[in-house]
Amino acid sequence: MVDTAVVLAAGEGTRLRPLTRNRPKPMLPAANRPILEHVLDALVEAGTDHVVIVVGYKHDRVQNHFGPTYRDVPITYARQNKQLGTGHALLQAREHVEGPMLVVNGDCLIDSALVQDVCAAFDRGGGEPTLAVLEGPDARQYGAVTLRDGFVQEIIEKPQVDEYRLINAGIYAFDDDIFEAIDATPREDGELALTDTLARELERGRIRGVETDGLWVDASYPWDLLVVAAKILDHGLADEPERDERVWVDETAIIHDDATLQPPVVVGPDCEVGPGAVVGPHSALGRNVTVGANATVVNSVLDVDTRVEVGSTLLETVTGQNVRLGPCSVVSGGPADVRVGNEVFEDEELGAVIADRVRAEGNVGFAPGSLVGPNAHLDTGVTVDGQVRESAEVRR
Amino acid sequence: MCGIIGAVGRGADTLDVLVHGLSKLEYRGYDSAGVALADESIDVCKKAGEIDELRAALEDRSIDGSVGVGHTRWSTHGPPTDENAHPHQDCSGDVAVVHNGIIENYQELRDELVSAGHTFRSDTDTEVVPHLVEEQLRGGADPEAAVRAAVSRLEGSYAVAVVIAGIEEIFAARNDSPLVLGIDDGAPRGPDRPNGDKPRGGAYYLASDVPAFRDHTDRVVYLDDGEFTVLGSDGWRVTTLAGEPVEKTVDTVDWDPEETGKSGYDHYMLKEIHEQPRSLRQSLSERVDELGGRVDIGDLADLNPRGVQLVACGTSYHAALYGAELFRQAGIPAQAFRASEYATSPPPIGDALVVGVTQSGETADTLSALREAQRRGARTLGVTNVVGSTVARESDHVFYIRAGPEIGVAATKTFASQLASLNLLALGLTSTDSTREIISSLRDLPGQVQEVLDGSGAQAVAETYLESDAYFFIGRELNYPVALEGALKMKEITYKHAEGFAAGELKHGPLALVTNQTPVFAIVTGDDELAQKTIGNVKEVEARDAPVIAVTDGQSDVERYADHVLRVPETHPRTAAVLANVQLQLVSYHTAALLDRSIDKPRNLAKSVTVE
Repeated sequence: MVDTAVVLAAGEGTRLRPLTRNRPKPMLPAANRPILEHVLDALVEAGTDHVVIVVGYKHDRVQNHFGPTYRDVPITYARQNKQLGTGHALLQAREHVEGPMLVVNGDCLIDSALVQDVCAAFDRGGGEPTLAVLEGPDARQYGAVTLRDGFVQEIIEKPQVDEYRLINAGIYAFDDDIFEAIDATPREDGELALTDTLARELERGRIRGVETDGLWVDASYPWDLLVVAAKILDHGLADEPERDERVWVDETAIIHDDATLQPPVVVGPDCEVGPGAVVGPHSALGRNVTVGANATVVNSVLDVDTRVEVGSTLLETVTGQNVRLGPCSVVSGGPADVRVGNEVFEDEELGAVIADRVRAEGNVGFAPGSLVGPNAHLDTGVTVDGQVRESAEVRR
Repeated sequence: MCGIIGAVGRGADTLDVLVHGLSKLEYRGYDSAGVALADESIDVCKKAGEIDELRAALEDRSIDGSVGVGHTRWSTHGPPTDENAHPHQDCSGDVAVVHNGIIENYQELRDELVSAGHTFRSDTDTEVVPHLVEEQLRGGADPEAAVRAAVSRLEGSYAVAVVIAGIEEIFAARNDSPLVLGIDDGAPRGPDRPNGDKPRGGAYYLASDVPAFRDHTDRVVYLDDGEFTVLGSDGWRVTTLAGEPVEKTVDTVDWDPEETGKSGYDHYMLKEIHEQPRSLRQSLSERVDELGGRVDIGDLADLNPRGVQLVACGTSYHAALYGAELFRQAGIPAQAFRASEYATSPPPIGDALVVGVTQSGETADTLSALREAQRRGARTLGVTNVVGSTVARESDHVFYIRAGPEIGVAATKTFASQLASLNLLALGLTSTDSTREIISSLRDLPGQVQEVLDGSGAQAVAETYLESDAYFFIGRELNYPVALEGALKMKEITYKHAEGFAAGELKHGPLALVTNQTPVFAIVTGDDELAQKTIGNVKEVEARDAPVIAVTDGQSDVERYADHVLRVPETHPRTAAVLANVQLQLVSYHTAALLDRSIDKPRNLAKSVTVE
C-alpha cells in the first residue's frame, strides 16, 4: 500500500499570468477552493496518510493556507528554491520519503479514482514505476504515451503530430530508487524533467501504465478556470452543503432573501449576497466574496475577498483575490480574441480576467477578452480593452 | 510560570508520553526540566537547560515506571540548576512532586520541617511539599490522606502533582494555577499480544495546558480552584480538598495537535505572522453582516455598559489601549489599566464593565484584577483565545478571539485577533453611525494583511538598521498602541533597546534620545489633522538626523521625510492600525533572525505568565 504522496507545487505556472502574480498555479481557484485543495482531497480519500508538498514560487501562500495538516493528514513542506524541473522538484522531497510514494502535480485537478487506479496497479506489479494514462485532452500540449498490455511503449513529450490518443496524466507511483534514477539523469538546459528520467528507465526496464477514466482537468490559461469551475459544478464536487438542487452554500454565508442563486452555483464561507442579486449558473464565489444589491454574476469565478458592488454585471469573468468592482461595472462576456503577449487565442468564451487587488471605481466597462494586471486602478467611467499592465492607472 | 504533566495507564510508554508533553509545554518556561516515574521505587531525572538536555540525560540511563510526572521550569525561587529543577523528592526518595505557582508560606513550612529533621536539597519553595507528604506518611496516613493534608498546609498559588513509590496513582490539586485533566478510557496499553489482541485500558493525564496531552486524547476536565484529584489506571475522581466529591463535566477540545507544527517555516513566530489572514477570518466569521450593517456578539449585546475598564498585561495591554479608544469614540467612557496595578490599587469602578484581555486566559495579574473587580461587585468580561481557561470560566461573560494556538512567546496573530475582536465588541456593545463602513473594513482586513505579507519591505529595513543603538516608534490615537507594540516586539525578540512614544510627547523629553543612530518608525495612516500632526513630529526627528521609516498607506506626504517606507493598503483607520502592526512584526522578526536570536523562546520570557 502506497501511503505517502509527494505533491509538486513549486512552479509558478506562467501561462496563468496575471493571476499568478502573488501565488503559484496550485493556489488558483478550482470553483471556490484552490486547485491544490482538490488534489489533497483526492489523495486523502485514496488513503494517503502523509503528504510532502514541494513548494517554491510564493511558497508562503501554500504554507499559510494549509498549515501543518490537511484533514488530519500531516503535511511536510520541502523547498525547491530554484525551479529546475519536475525531477529536481521531486529530489527535494527525498529526505522526507521512505519506500514507495505517489507523485502528483499540485496544479491539475484530479479525483481519488485516478489516484486509486495508480496505487492498485503499482501494488499489483513488482515495484516498477507506474503512471496514469488518460484519453481525451490534446496530447500535443502534454506528453503522449503508447501502451501495450499495461506497459508503456513510448513516452513522447509534447508531440508535434496529432496521432496520439493517450496522454501521461502526471500521476505516478515510484519506489524510492527513483531518486537514484533522477540523480543519474543528465540535465537538459540545466533542468531535470521527470519525464527524461522515465524515458531512460524505459530503455532499461519496464514502466507500468494504467489507463484510467478518473477526473482530470488542467487549466492552461486563465480563462480555463471557468471550464474547471463548470466541471466541478457539473460533477457535483462542491464541498458546501447543498441548499437546493445543485446550489451549494456554506453555512456562514449570508444570502439575502431576495437574492437568486441559479444552479449550478457554489457560495463559499463568509460571503454576502445582497437583495436582488443573481449569482449563477456556473458561478463560484470564493471565501468572503461580496455581491452587492442587484448585481449579476453569470458563468464566473470570483476569488477570495472580491467585492462586486451594486448593479454590476459580470459574465464569463475570472477575478483574483481582493478585487473591487465599483457600482455598475460591466463585463459583457465572450466570445473574444484574447491576446497574450504575441499570441492570439481566437473565439475564447471570456469576458475578462481581473487579477489580484484590481480596483475599479464605478461604471467601468470591460471589453470582451480583457486581461487586467494586478493592482491596476481603473477610474470611474473608463472602458478597458485588451491588456492592462500591473499597477496601471487608467483614467478617462 | 512553569508547566506540569502527569500520566498514568500508559505502561511502558509513560516516559515518552511525559517527555513529549513537556516539549509541548516548553512555551511556559524552559530553563530546566525533569521527570519522575514510579513503580516500586521512584526514578527521577532532571536537568537545567532546555528539554533537549533532559532528553540527552535520559539516553544515558534507564528509567521506568507506569505512572509519572514531569515539569518544565521558569525560575521564580532559586537559579536554574539541576538541583532546583523539578520533580522534588522527600528524604526517603519515595515521594516526588512537581509544582507550578508560588508557595507563599514556604519559609515557615521549611523551618518547621528542618527542625523536624528533614534535609532540603534545593532552594525552591516546592520542596516543602514532598517533605510535608513524607511527614504525614510517617505519621501513618494513607497516601491520599497524606497528600491532602500536605496540600492543605500550602498558602499561595499552586498546581501540584504527587507520585509515591508503590502506588499506581497521581494525586493533584489546584489553587490559582492552571490544571486540566485528559481522559482516555480506551488507550493502547503496551505491545500487541501474540494472538493479535491490542490490550487497551484507561489512560489519564494531567497538565498545565491541553497541548501537553492533546496528541493522546481530546476529552478534558478543567479543575477549579480548591479541587483535588486522584488519577489511577482504573479511573479518575475529583473532590474538594476536604474530600467532598465534585461532579465534573468532560469537555471535548477541537484544536488539532498538529497545529503546533511549524508548517515549513523556520520559526513559529514567522508561521504565526503568516497565519494572520486565516486567524483573522476565524475571528470574524459569522460575527459580521455587512449588508445588514450588524455585528453578532450573542448575548453580550445586552450588556449596555455605561463605562468600560480594560485590564491586561504586555501585548494584551496594548490591545486594551486600542480597545479603550474604540469605546471612547463611541461615546462610552473607557480606560485601559495595567492589570498588575489594578489588582492592588483599583480605580473607582462604578457601574463600568471590567474587560480582561488575555491571550492565554491564565495571566495571573489579569486574573487578580478581574477577581478584585468581581469582589467589588463589577460585571466582568474575559476576552481570550483559550476555551475553558480560568478567565473564561471565572468571568461573568467571555468573548473568544479564535486565533488558534499560538506557540511563539512573542504574541503576533493573537494581537491582530484581539484588535479585530475589540472592534466587534465596541460595535456590538455601543451604537455608532459608521457600523457598515467599519464592518466593510474588517471584512477587507484578512486580504489586506495578505497584501502586506506578499510585498513587505521589512527585511530590507531590518538589514539597513541592524547595527542601530536603539529603535523608536511613534504614533497617535489608534496608532499609539501600535507604536508601543512595535517596540515591545523589538525588545522581546531582538534584545535591542526599543521604545514606543505617543508622537506628541516626543518634544517633551524623548527627543533628547534621538540621534543618527536611532531609527524612528513613524506610523502615519490617512491624511487628517492627526496624520499631519504626526508628520510634524517626523520633521522634528528628521531634523536631528534620525533615519525615519514611515509606515503609511500613502495618503499623506510623510514619505517626503522618510528614508524608508513600509506600505500598507488604504483603509479605515481602525484596520490600518492592524496592518501597520504586521509591518512592524516583520521588522522585528527579520532583525532578530539576522541577529540569530532565539526567536520563539526569547531569554527570560515565557508565553503565559501565571505568576504575579
